[in-house]
Amino acid sequence: MDLTAIVFYLFSIVTVGAAAIMVFSKNIVHSAFALMFSLAGIAVLYVLLYADFIAATQLLVYVGGILILILFGLMLTEQAVTQKFKAVTVNMLPASLLAAVTTVLLVYAYATTSWQMVMPEERSETVYDLGILLMSDYILPFIIAGVLLLIAIVGAILMSTRLTAIKNEEQ
Amino acid sequence: MVQTLKKSWTTFKTIFTGMGVTMRHLLQPSVTLRYPEERDELPSGARSKLFVHIDDCIGCKLCERACPVNCIAIETVQATKDVDLGKTSTGNPKRFWITTFNIDMSKCMYCDMCVPPCPTECISMVPEYEYSEYDRNNLLFQFSELSADKVTEVKEKAEKEQEEKQRKKKEAARKKKAQKADQTSKAKQKNSEG
Amino acid sequence: MALLIFATLPLLLIVGYALFAIWLERKVSAHIQDRLGPMRVGGWHGWAQTIADMLKLIQKEDIIPTNASRFLFKSAPFVLFAASYAAFSVIPFSSAYIGSSINIGVFYLLAVTSLLTLSVIMGAWASNNKWSLLGGMRTAAQMVSYEVPTIMSVLSVLVVAGSLNLMTISEMQTGNDILGFLPNWLIFQNPFLIVAFIIFFISIVAESHRVPFDLPESESELVAGFQTEYSGMRWGIFMLAEYADMLLLSLLGAVLFFGGWASPFGSYLSGPVWGFIWFMLKGLLFVFVMMWMRWTLPRYRVDQLMEICWTILIPVSFINFVLIALWEMTF
Repeated sequence: MDLTAIVFYLFSIVTVGAAAIMVFSKNIVHSAFALMFSLAGIAVLYVLLYADFIAATQLLVYVGGILILILFGLMLTEQAVTQKFKAVTVNMLPASLLAAVTTVLLVYAYATTSWQMVMPEERSETVYDLGILLMSDYILPFIIAGVLLLIAIVGAILMSTRLTAIKNEEQ
Repeated sequence: MVQTLKKSWTTFKTIFTGMGVTMRHLLQPSVTLRYPEERDELPSGARSKLFVHIDDCIGCKLCERACPVNCIAIETVQATKDVDLGKTSTGNPKRFWITTFNIDMSKCMYCDMCVPPCPTECISMVPEYEYSEYDRNNLLFQFSELSADKVTEVKEKAEKEQEEKQRKKKEAARKKKAQKADQTSKAKQKNSEG
Repeated sequence: MALLIFATLPLLLIVGYALFAIWLERKVSAHIQDRLGPMRVGGWHGWAQTIADMLKLIQKEDIIPTNASRFLFKSAPFVLFAASYAAFSVIPFSSAYIGSSINIGVFYLLAVTSLLTLSVIMGAWASNNKWSLLGGMRTAAQMVSYEVPTIMSVLSVLVVAGSLNLMTISEMQTGNDILGFLPNWLIFQNPFLIVAFIIFFISIVAESHRVPFDLPESESELVAGFQTEYSGMRWGIFMLAEYADMLLLSLLGAVLFFGGWASPFGSYLSGPVWGFIWFMLKGLLFVFVMMWMRWTLPRYRVDQLMEICWTILIPVSFINFVLIALWEMTF
């Protein structure tokens, strides 16, 4: 087994194991930190596929951004501070049914698809290629995503200012 | 906008002023004395430790009375007539044996009130501040130079002289009384005669 | 094996630097306050003080609070240091040494350093201590906010440099042709990069939570912030990571604005060894300025901190970014 395979299996175990901890942990903050290990593991898997830009984005956006926001939200809840928060399972029957159906679908899709095996090739100019592609072939989705984010930011600012304005009026 | 620019300008200006000040201090020599190796000279009036020139003490006990915390304990014995204790360096005659002169430095509060009353300037503050001890009994400084034998000797002598004096006094008193009695008896006789 | 030695070199550098920097910090603080600082250990100006401190830290008991979340509490310092150390792999220490010359260098560095925030929150929450948690919250808010101006100022450099690889960026800054004598450093190539550098410097001070932005660990209000419950070598690793982070961001600044390992005198005093010395000198200069600032300025309030970031630094960095792009297009 060469180094790449060892790293692959190691980080696959980390990813899946951390995901399992995330799902089964009773403590919501532990779940969040398990999610961090899971996401970082996925970043490593991207690196093994020579997708270094995607890996770094994965770290920057998911681990460095979204996860911190999740944690920030959790810290603002009282339960997270006292460490007594217990996740409760609700709607056992519908949830397990849904999970079972999803599993069956995934397994079916996995089994019936004829997978095309491609050896990942090392690319040195990923950023350059990515930039060209984003600005030519994928310009429309790129711009739509940008506009969407802009709208989201404007909406967030509007909501927060309106909330503070209402508070000020009350005072 | 203008407000923000002005504010930013003030911020930068104050930051650089402050950093100039700290840089100046960074470059100028530090004021630290590396204590056991270097020592600062104490000012002349520093109060750190009491010292008594026992040769100059006349046993007037003024310092003992001046002390607000009673840390000075003096015992004196009057010198007998046959010994001359000499004079102090300031010229005052010494009339007492100083049998005890104890200063408890663990009690002393360094008020310096015992120093000015001394007529011979024998008690004074010395610039010495490193006299910490593991046992507080060691902070009881004994300045009397008389040995225990000498103390008992002078005490006995003084007592004897005192007794002698008392005896003489009594004798004199008796004599006086006798004389008086004599006179009164004579006067009575006169009266009876007269 | 050779790979292992190759990968350990920066670790030795970081440990050596941290020992030196902590000593320097104490000396700078002491002399700014007209004191002398450590003078006894090792002879000359107490140079061995931090080595002695480290030996002491190793021997100390590792205390874990009863109600702490054990796994997270134990692993937080190591995650922090791992993230900080991983970022060093794309720093070109000299023309002959770079851990990994990947073509997304800067982006990778920024991505990995965002893990720092997470590990700080990890340690803060796991301590189960109010001060720690407050420190952790502040860290999260501060780092997420100040990442924006940092990335914007780095982006403006990238517009001028045209590459994400820090080695390439360093190579293009060798020589001195600007006005005949100035070195080809990026800061001299575009006047707006000076503004970008100021924004970058303020942001890295905030990112490495140093005074005046040391709210996450403000001693006077939060005891030590997220480090409150840590003791012994775990605390030591926190300290090491903090200083490593300072050096990392300073070196990044040196590469992006001041030519990395490029000599200020053109080809004179250049070469791999001199390059390394120049590079470390530039980095340490920023580290020194950070220390100098620490002992000069008071701490900002939380709302002031956020105000500076969102109402001044971010708009200015965006406008500056556009101006730099325009300048690059016209000249």
